[in-house]
Amino acid sequence: MSSTASASTSKPAAAKVAEKPKEKEAHQAQLGVLEEDDEFEEFPSADWDDGQTDLAHLGGAAPGSAKSGGDKLWEDNWDDDDIEDDFSVQLRNELAKMNKGGDAMEH
Amino acid sequence: MPMDFSTYLTQINDALNAQNGPGLAYLLRPTSPHGKDLVKGFRSPTAATLAHFKGSILSPWDEIAIQYVLICTHIARLRPGEAFKEQSQLVSLFFRYFIDNRGWTLPALFSILRDLRDLAHDADWHAKVHSEQSECMVEAARIVAKAFSNCMTDRNSPPEESRKWGVYYVVGLAMKSYFKVKRISLTKNIIKVLENNADIPPLENYPRSHQVTYRYYLGMLSFLNEEYIKAEQELTLAFYHCHIAAHENQTRILAYLIPLRILRGHLPSDELLYRFPILADVFAPFISALRTGDLLGFDRALEYRQARLVELNLLLTLERARELCLRGLFRRVWVASAKGTRIPLSMFHCALRISGMTVEIEEAECLVANMVYKGFMRGYISHEKQMVVLASTNAFPRLADRPSPFAFM
Repeated sequence: MSSTASASTSKPAAAKVAEKPKEKEAHQAQLGVLEEDDEFEEFPSADWDDGQTDLAHLGGAAPGSAKSGGDKLWEDNWDDDDIEDDFSVQLRNELAKMNKGGDAMEH
Repeated sequence: MPMDFSTYLTQINDALNAQNGPGLAYLLRPTSPHGKDLVKGFRSPTAATLAHFKGSILSPWDEIAIQYVLICTHIARLRPGEAFKEQSQLVSLFFRYFIDNRGWTLPALFSILRDLRDLAHDADWHAKVHSEQSECMVEAARIVAKAFSNCMTDRNSPPEESRKWGVYYVVGLAMKSYFKVKRISLTKNIIKVLENNADIPPLENYPRSHQVTYRYYLGMLSFLNEEYIKAEQELTLAFYHCHIAAHENQTRILAYLIPLRILRGHLPSDELLYRFPILADVFAPFISALRTGDLLGFDRALEYRQARLVELNLLLTLERARELCLRGLFRRVWVASAKGTRIPLSMFHCALRISGMTVEIEEAECLVANMVYKGFMRGYISHEKQMVVLASTNAFPRLADRPSPFAFM
């Protein structure tokens, strides 16, 4: 999610595979609320005001308008030009190779 | 002192005279303490043994009171099927009174319909355990839909006392029931009636609990019908008007709102995911893959979570979001090429290969063409030169800026 977390997304494939069973277990255990048979619950009270909802933090912004519109719960500007990971290294290497190869062909 | 039946009748009568809706609801609830007292007071009550109480108070309340004793007895003897049948009868009797009265009766209506649904659930479950057929929830949904009509047809009460103040709550219950039995399409008729009816108050004027439940189910219905614009609108309003202490309901709303917003190019912020760890567990790998154009990571997340996503009806939506990840990957090719305007097709081909997609160059060309066609990239392909020519400005428009983000889905 954060840029530090995303920087580690292209770990070697072996590491990812090793994580798989653990990830699955945790995943099954935590999803109680989203079970198939689960349903939307009755609210304990019938009515409430803005202060008890997520409208409160909006300060007048439109719900769901994203950070640029004043809603800090959503991001609409997340293209990142400075990602440094294995993938960028591999990509640059390939690019360099290709440029060489391309030049050679043109001569 | 344990309550006897004549006291019970008196209390019903008092609640009616005082037009005390919540009091009436309490008296009719099988879980109220007097329920047990009444069961103890009669040995093995049946409709026949209780028949002599008919006429003791205003009709149909004499019969309703008798039904109540029968229901509590069946519950105490663990006969949920019979309890459900008697509760259906109680609701029908209540309707007779309800249609001649005003909105003060709504708390009682809501309460007996909730009990009806709970008993239907127990009855169906009990039958299932004993390998028997049982369609109580379907029947409950039908009765709830009838209650909806009975609210809608109030033409006499003054606006503020109208039974129409019950429509959205009751529709919420009906939708809940139809979803439970997986007959979702049956909710469409009710919604059509609601949407074509100009003389019910605007939804915003109803209690928030009614608004949020209704919008959640309407949003879900639209989501499942792939009407994504409407689904996103309804679920957004459901989320923002939901009580923040109703954390599990907020989780349920976001489970569908997050993927919809992702398709629009809006990612949930870290703050939002932090508040909902269950959702972070489901979506975080997709989100981090989208941020970095990590197609390999995205595909792995899809693979690991496939069964769960199918169960939640989310697989299709996330498969569609994969296209956004592909756009991220191609964008990285562009960044790595110093944002040049002419990038050899082989670079895109190569990026796909590094991401675990071993395809022919023709297919890579096709994927790029598709990105251009859908407006994810601005430019064209020179097939002859095997070159992708990109616009010098805004070659990769922000995902959130697309005028109709759900158009090509």
